[in-house]
Amino acid sequence: MEPKGYWCLQLHAHLPYVRHPEFPDFLEEDWLYEAITETYLPILSMMEKFMDEGVDFRLTMSITPPLAGMLSDSLLQSRYYNKLGKLIELSEKEIWRTKNQPFYETAQMYDRQLKECRRLWEKYHGNILNGFKNLQDSGKLEIITCCATHGFLPLEVNSPAARAQVRIAAQDYERHFGRRPRGIWLSECAYTPGIDAILKKEGIKFFFLEAHGILYATPRPRFGVFAPVYCPSGVAAFGRDMETAHQVWSADTGYPGDPDYREFYRDLGYDLEYDYIKPYLHEDGVRRNIGLKYHRITGKVSLSEKQPYNPQWADNKAAMHAGNFLFNREKQAQYLSEVLGRTPLVVSMYDAELYGHWWFEGPNFLNYLFRKIHYDQNTIKTITPSEYLEKFPKNQVVTPAASSWGDKGYYEVWLNGSNDWIYRHLHKASERMVELARENPSADGLRRRALNQAARELILAQSSDWAFIMTTKTMVEYAEKRTREHLSNFTAIFEQVKRSQIDEGYIGNLEYRNNIFPGIDYAAYNPEVK
Amino acid sequence: MSENLSSKFKGDSIISAAGRITGLPRGYGDTKIVIMPRDPMWFYAYWEVSSVAHSELRKKIGDDKYGSSCWVLRVYDITDKEFDGSNANKFFDIALNQDSESWYINVTETNRVWCVDIGVVTPDGRFIAVARSNVLALPRHGVSTITDEQWAMLQQEFEKLLKLSGVDKIGRSSFDLTKLMRERWEEILSVSMPSSHMGASSWKKAPGGEVKAKDFWLKADTELIVYGATEPDATLKVQGQKVTLRPDGSFALRFYLPDGEQEYPIEATSSDGTMHRHITFVVRRDTK
Repeated sequence: MEPKGYWCLQLHAHLPYVRHPEFPDFLEEDWLYEAITETYLPILSMMEKFMDEGVDFRLTMSITPPLAGMLSDSLLQSRYYNKLGKLIELSEKEIWRTKNQPFYETAQMYDRQLKECRRLWEKYHGNILNGFKNLQDSGKLEIITCCATHGFLPLEVNSPAARAQVRIAAQDYERHFGRRPRGIWLSECAYTPGIDAILKKEGIKFFFLEAHGILYATPRPRFGVFAPVYCPSGVAAFGRDMETAHQVWSADTGYPGDPDYREFYRDLGYDLEYDYIKPYLHEDGVRRNIGLKYHRITGKVSLSEKQPYNPQWADNKAAMHAGNFLFNREKQAQYLSEVLGRTPLVVSMYDAELYGHWWFEGPNFLNYLFRKIHYDQNTIKTITPSEYLEKFPKNQVVTPAASSWGDKGYYEVWLNGSNDWIYRHLHKASERMVELARENPSADGLRRRALNQAARELILAQSSDWAFIMTTKTMVEYAEKRTREHLSNFTAIFEQVKRSQIDEGYIGNLEYRNNIFPGIDYAAYNPEVK
Repeated sequence: MSENLSSKFKGDSIISAAGRITGLPRGYGDTKIVIMPRDPMWFYAYWEVSSVAHSELRKKIGDDKYGSSCWVLRVYDITDKEFDGSNANKFFDIALNQDSESWYINVTETNRVWCVDIGVVTPDGRFIAVARSNVLALPRHGVSTITDEQWAMLQQEFEKLLKLSGVDKIGRSSFDLTKLMRERWEEILSVSMPSSHMGASSWKKAPGGEVKAKDFWLKADTELIVYGATEPDATLKVQGQKVTLRPDGSFALRFYLPDGEQEYPIEATSSDGTMHRHITFVVRRDTK
């Protein structure tokens, strides 16, 4: 039976490339370790269970090149495995400590979850990308790429450098997933007309847009955001549905703020006796979050008044919210199919890290949701963008409007008084990289290594994460340091290549520290290479 | 991630951008101007004029005129034009103070294409450009008036569709993750006394600035114009930076106005250096 509507869920999984082999213990690497435990492994585990139990589902995920690079990096893998081992040691101790406390069930829950993480981690010998790849090969999951280092394309005035962000990403995708990417998540959903032509050249078939990117398109989009459009280049764009965005996000009515859900801000790293918790903190011994949290949101109360978490209540709530979400999708599909005169497509897109890291019960919500979609109804069906385009190849041709999914819908988050100073340097480095690539069409040996490392330093400096962090005014120092460091590394290599005095020790050290994209080819910056 | 979350809400003062650029060169010896889009009404320009370009200009127009010329950005509306420097639909000038290297430019018409020259206006009113920017179409604002026949529909139907698509929610959804978490944290703060639990770790957080309301939307921003006049031959500094006066001694400066308290000290010194006048504006912006 044909459904009344299709639903496409796109999760954007991304973290900036943070890897510091020069330090034994580096704070910002925790971003990755927390996300693996709380988001990536729970989602992988969920999908594998669907496969085992025959629950049909479709999910789309962008796994960005820096994230894929970190997940496949042996140093970070072994560091994560150690961290996980420590956390399991703590969770086992906690079962004993909480025996006669209201936290006992929660402590058991963490112990179970962490051990499930370890089981999956070991199953893939530390490279969980292979788990995601298997799911893609089975046709249930569609993995798409993203700009190589999450570069913000509308603010890159140098077109070969913008192209390189896409080309290097697509090449890296092949390394991990064994085929070319069909789709891309443009960093921050940031689009400006013309970017689609770059995608076209790299063989990419579709990307995603914020709602007004479609609604303000020329000419008017016949189906609003409820059908993809083709750009003049022939690349398809899928627009964001705002109703589903708000159901999850709205501060007052969104699901994640429910009193039964886990309180993010109350963490054992602060609650437990110092001597007991110290072995699980970083080497500096400063109290920080460790990821075990025993309280629920409770309501509008202070942290000290938060009530104990009840895993059963939270589980019930996740099931209830999934039911509510599905009910709304069914109603929406029925109504839209009447209004549109065509089977509607609703596209929901979220940061993957919302599910698990911020909204602890998020993966369980998705678990219930996909199961209910499979077992309880026939009104909607999940679909991937590639499947949709195969089924409905006839779509309107429009020029979408420049837009992003950032605050206020445009580019201000990445271009304002706190970060605008970076662009004159980034643009200069792009211009110089293109110059180097043109002047050295076929370098080899050390010169080739130097040129490839120059490309790595430039592309690392271009991460939109740095500008974002400067705007949010947290960890600014780290973001500024990374920007300055990669730019000055780039400049040093540029000068060495120009003078033909390449310092092998210097290049070798940078290759060791900033090792993203092992297969990078600086020719991506040469506009004469088609 | 592992920093004290509470610190970020205690009104971090905005540090001047220049203070952060250690380790990067001030310039590259280029003479160029680049413009970049911010939103449908604003774009950013940065530029550099090399010392060689300065001395060439000085030679071209003479020492006298060079000293009394005013640096400006000439902003051209070149929508639907193959711009050759003289066929713009219209243009306006923004007077610069000598040391500025970048500017946010506000335009009043949407869906236009822009180009900017940086140059000087000589005392006899001539404009001499030293560099021309890239061409920039700002993000399209509003629903297109164009429909195509093959996909035609009634106006009424289209309006319904826009509403269903959430056109009224645009600009309210962003910073999703970070905003939600910040609101949660602020809520906790509002009911808590500062305590040892203030520490929290996570990535990605949001700044302020957006006004929210149910089923209704509002976007607003503000900026600051500082203006005045003194003796035409006086020396004027605003925030310690020298400002070039217009021939009649007047001046006007526009500032981006972030949240927080900003001081705008204005000092005038007579041409013989014997007399001084000060006025300081303290401006506080709170977005609530």
